[in-house]
Amino acid sequence: MSVRVHPELRNQLMQFGIGDWNACYHCGTCTAMCPLSEEGFLFPRKKIRLMQMGLKNEIESSVEPWLCYYCGDCTSTCPRDANPGELMMSLRRYLTSIYDWTGLSKKFYTSEVWEIGSILLIAVLVVIAFLIGLPAMGYSFTTELTSQGGVKINSFAPIHIIEAFDWAMAIVVGGLLISNILRMYYKIIWKHGHTKVTFWVHVREFWRLVFNFSVQPKFGKCDDKRYWFSHWFLMSGYTIMFIVVVVFLPWFQTEKILPPWHLQRALGYYATFGLLFGLLVAITGRMRRKDVKFYFSHVSDWLFLVMLTLTVITGILIHIFRIYGMPYATYIFYIIHMAVLVPMILIEVPFSKWSHLAYRPFAVYFQHLKTHAVPRKTKINSIN
Amino acid sequence: MRSPSKTCIFFYNPQFSDFDPIDYAELIRYAMTFPNVSRIWKYHDFIWNEQNLTDKIEANGIDHLIVAGLLPGTVKTLFSKAMAIAGKDPANVILASFNDYYTGTTFDMDRLKSVLACLIAGLSYETVAIPDENPVNPATLVIGGGIAGIQASLEIAYSNNHVYLVEKTGTIGGKMATFDKTFPTLDCAACILTPKMVEVNQNPFINLMTYCEVQEVSGEAGNYSVRILMRARKVNVKTCIGCGTCTEKCPAQAPSEFDYGTSMRKAIYMPFPQAVPNKYMIDAESCIYLKTGKCRACVKVCPVPDCINLDEQDHEVTINVGNIIVATGFKPFDAKKMDQFGYGRLPNVLTSLEFERLLNASGPTGGNIHLRSQDKKGNWIFTEEAEKPEKVAIIHCVGSRDKNHNKYCSRVCCMYSLKFSHLILEKLPGAEIHEYFIDMRSFGKGYEEFYERILEEDVSIVRGKTAKVEERNGKLFLRGEDILKGEILENTVDMVILSIGLEAAEETRDLSRMLGIPRSEDGFFEEVHYNLDPTATSRGGIYLAGTCQGPKDIPDSVAQGSAAAARAIQSILKGKIYKDLISIPLETIEKRINKLTLVQLEEKHL
Ligand SMILES: Cc1cc2nc3c(=O)[nH]c(=O)nc-3n(C[C@H](O)[C@H](O)[C@H](O)COP(=O)(O)OP(=O)(O)OC[C@H]3O[C@@H](n4cnc5c(N)ncnc54)[C@H](O)[C@@H]3O)c2cc1C
Ligand code: SF4
Ligand code: SF4
Ligand code: SF4
Ligand code: SF4
Repeated sequence: MSVRVHPELRNQLMQFGIGDWNACYHCGTCTAMCPLSEEGFLFPRKKIRLMQMGLKNEIESSVEPWLCYYCGDCTSTCPRDANPGELMMSLRRYLTSIYDWTGLSKKFYTSEVWEIGSILLIAVLVVIAFLIGLPAMGYSFTTELTSQGGVKINSFAPIHIIEAFDWAMAIVVGGLLISNILRMYYKIIWKHGHTKVTFWVHVREFWRLVFNFSVQPKFGKCDDKRYWFSHWFLMSGYTIMFIVVVVFLPWFQTEKILPPWHLQRALGYYATFGLLFGLLVAITGRMRRKDVKFYFSHVSDWLFLVMLTLTVITGILIHIFRIYGMPYATYIFYIIHMAVLVPMILIEVPFSKWSHLAYRPFAVYFQHLKTHAVPRKTKINSIN
Repeated sequence: MRSPSKTCIFFYNPQFSDFDPIDYAELIRYAMTFPNVSRIWKYHDFIWNEQNLTDKIEANGIDHLIVAGLLPGTVKTLFSKAMAIAGKDPANVILASFNDYYTGTTFDMDRLKSVLACLIAGLSYETVAIPDENPVNPATLVIGGGIAGIQASLEIAYSNNHVYLVEKTGTIGGKMATFDKTFPTLDCAACILTPKMVEVNQNPFINLMTYCEVQEVSGEAGNYSVRILMRARKVNVKTCIGCGTCTEKCPAQAPSEFDYGTSMRKAIYMPFPQAVPNKYMIDAESCIYLKTGKCRACVKVCPVPDCINLDEQDHEVTINVGNIIVATGFKPFDAKKMDQFGYGRLPNVLTSLEFERLLNASGPTGGNIHLRSQDKKGNWIFTEEAEKPEKVAIIHCVGSRDKNHNKYCSRVCCMYSLKFSHLILEKLPGAEIHEYFIDMRSFGKGYEEFYERILEEDVSIVRGKTAKVEERNGKLFLRGEDILKGEILENTVDMVILSIGLEAAEETRDLSRMLGIPRSEDGFFEEVHYNLDPTATSRGGIYLAGTCQGPKDIPDSVAQGSAAAARAIQSILKGKIYKDLISIPLETIEKRINKLTLVQLEEKHL
């Protein structure tokens, strides 16, 4: 297989993050310091080499960037300030844009105008849908309260419509994500010339996907366990919210005020606390910039944090206003909530930061597929 | 040279990030005041390429131009070509390279203006900016008695001129005196150094002042007045016969400075057996009598009457000299700053200097390699009772080429590490040696050959810096990446040697203020011109020798010692010396330019 060199790769990558990666003189300190780098899948130095040499195909078929959890040990010990940790982060952003066939991801990562513009556009559409769309469809909301004194939320946001919309959004986002994961699979496993992975291995290693998604054991290997906890808390809160809101919306968005220990409210509170805690750690970390992982923040990092925080806060406010029977406040914040949530899900999950929720566990899965790959039979082999 | 009638200036200021501390606006204002400057351009005024430059030259009828800025040499070919294409003489592209006039921290704007003024007048700065001359006091002060200082002192003394050699410690010799062998010839260090040290002591033209420090320097080139603090040795250097009876009886102990703390010495001691002067001295910090008022054991046993005077006090003297040579050497990088290697926590992680003492026959183990062990009082020292290591690792570039510490390469550590490998094999045949390097820097005469020789020996030399050293089951566990194999490299050894780099000595800062000589970014003293005048400083009559100017090996230190001596002798022979380069004010330069151009005009009319 011939090797194509892409000298422009470095400049392309610079759009996805900040680092003087050409400064690296290959001492190997970073790789040896990295708690997650392992035999057969060594990083970050090897990835820097690929980047310096412009070996685009090799970079695109790498799983290593997803195995890095940005603990920053490499960056803080690098003698050349080459910032290997940030390179891994930038590679993750780059790979996200490569897996994405629509090309939108690249636009969002490299152009602030595109990213913020599309978020605003979707937000405006959501507001229009609520203020003009629903009334035009003949729905009118009521300020009457329920017998328990709560807001009749379903009169404002008819549950069957919101649910249908949720499902539609989930299908679009899921479809995009699945197709991107297939492309990731193609780039990492399939395109990789000389080896092949048997079907049995696919089945046998599948548990890793589930395990890595739910526990994130890799993150726990970093020296600082605090981040594992806050990240896991945030991630689990987010996942629960996502499932509850999309799959079980009729059960979640009720007008009945259930007792606080009821599963519906308990899950909601758990998720809210998880999200708030994780966000607090991430935001204060990025503001204080004490840890290496928070030295550099890409626009996408901040946007995501701000949007998620807004979603959580408006969510809490809706909950309070609904229980205390304040219909107008509830409705207004419902609109704001949706105007932040919808663009966040539509843009972040398939195209930007949140996609790593899916890519990371898949990368571990693919990594193990790669380790069990067998040489593909070539013609010469079969003659023998 | 003809004063050009019409000159254009191109300011080369491409703004290399924040590395452009020159006030170009000010320079442009200044250049405009000259009637023969017709046009001025800056880098961003148009795109500097062959085509555009040729157009500019043709359109403005330029036949003489100045390119001024930092490293203007980078664009010189562009201008020469453009001139040639426009049919003009490419030799009329004159460079004003401001980086030559960097004072260490800022650019002296007056200097830059002076340079411009000279070039605009068609004169070179060097011909105009000749400093005034002073008469010279023929005595010279050499600060620092390492190999560089010794060499400089001897050279001057051999010309029958007087030298004061001021050394901070109790003996001269510097770091070289602590070594066993030197690369690349594997000469015995003591064998080549001791005769020179003895010669310093015996030469009637050298006034050796050990255990002394320079306190204050005043005056100017040709006549400096220097106040020197003479610390009390408390042993009379003239009468002590060096019998050593006192040391035997002395009850107080302290870590030996000469052995870099790897062995213990008494409070009354001789730094090492070949010390020059070969006399004893008392360390006031550890002497029991000086702390509690009781003991005087040494005084009681000393066979020479009044030789030991425990109540002797420090005193000061003032000397007058014409030239000063600074040879204060280097300070080893503090390996504790790199906690990942465990120096200071793990007893068998050594610095290279400590290891030099292990190798040295006059060292604490008589030249045998043993692990570090604890004595009864809990001090970690080298003794011959301890076990010998079987596996040794050497880690290169510790503290050097590292933006977290020193950016520069220390130049000697690759070579001395190779030397270590060879000497370990010689002393411990069958030992397993691993060297971990990033790049092997074996520049210089015979050095690459030395590297090749070591490669033939039974040493594993691996590319990839060790990332960390930890203790595991009483052994030292190393982790790194073997770059060429692309594998993680793990190894367990008995002893780790850190090839620490060279840093500017502690006093460099104080001395630079005292002497009024600048330091460069890396902390070492700064020379006038890196390529063409590496021994002089911007102050007249003050020169640099050895590692105080930058990392270098013994041959280079010696060469620079001789060079500095030549500069001092030059002024003594001439009887006159130039004052400081920086002392010429802009007005003087302008006046001189006027005078010189008038002379040229007259010559033209004759
Ligand atoms: C481990 C190691 C091994 C090495 N091996 C070799 C080798 O094999 N071959 C080789 O060519 N090079 C070798 N080098 C390099 C060599 O040590 C230096 O090139 C050489 O010692 C420089 O000599 P110097 O006179 O400039 O400085 P130094 O040897 O440091 O001498 C400076 C002297 O100045 C004195 N001093 C300092 N400040 C003052 C002050 N304010 N007032 C008065 N006196 C002062 C000091 O006490 C000292 O005596 C090695 C270096 C190291 C670290
Ligand atoms: S630690 Fe820095 S210089 Fe060394 S290999 Fe890694 S990125 Fe390159
Ligand atoms: S940030 Fe941490 S996990 Fe990522 S490459 Fe660096 S050391 Fe490894
Ligand atoms: S006993 Fe006296 S003469 Fe002998 S070495 Fe000690 S001080 Fe010098
Ligand atoms: S000489 Fe060798 S060991 Fe020393 S800093 Fe330079 S490259 Fe590193």
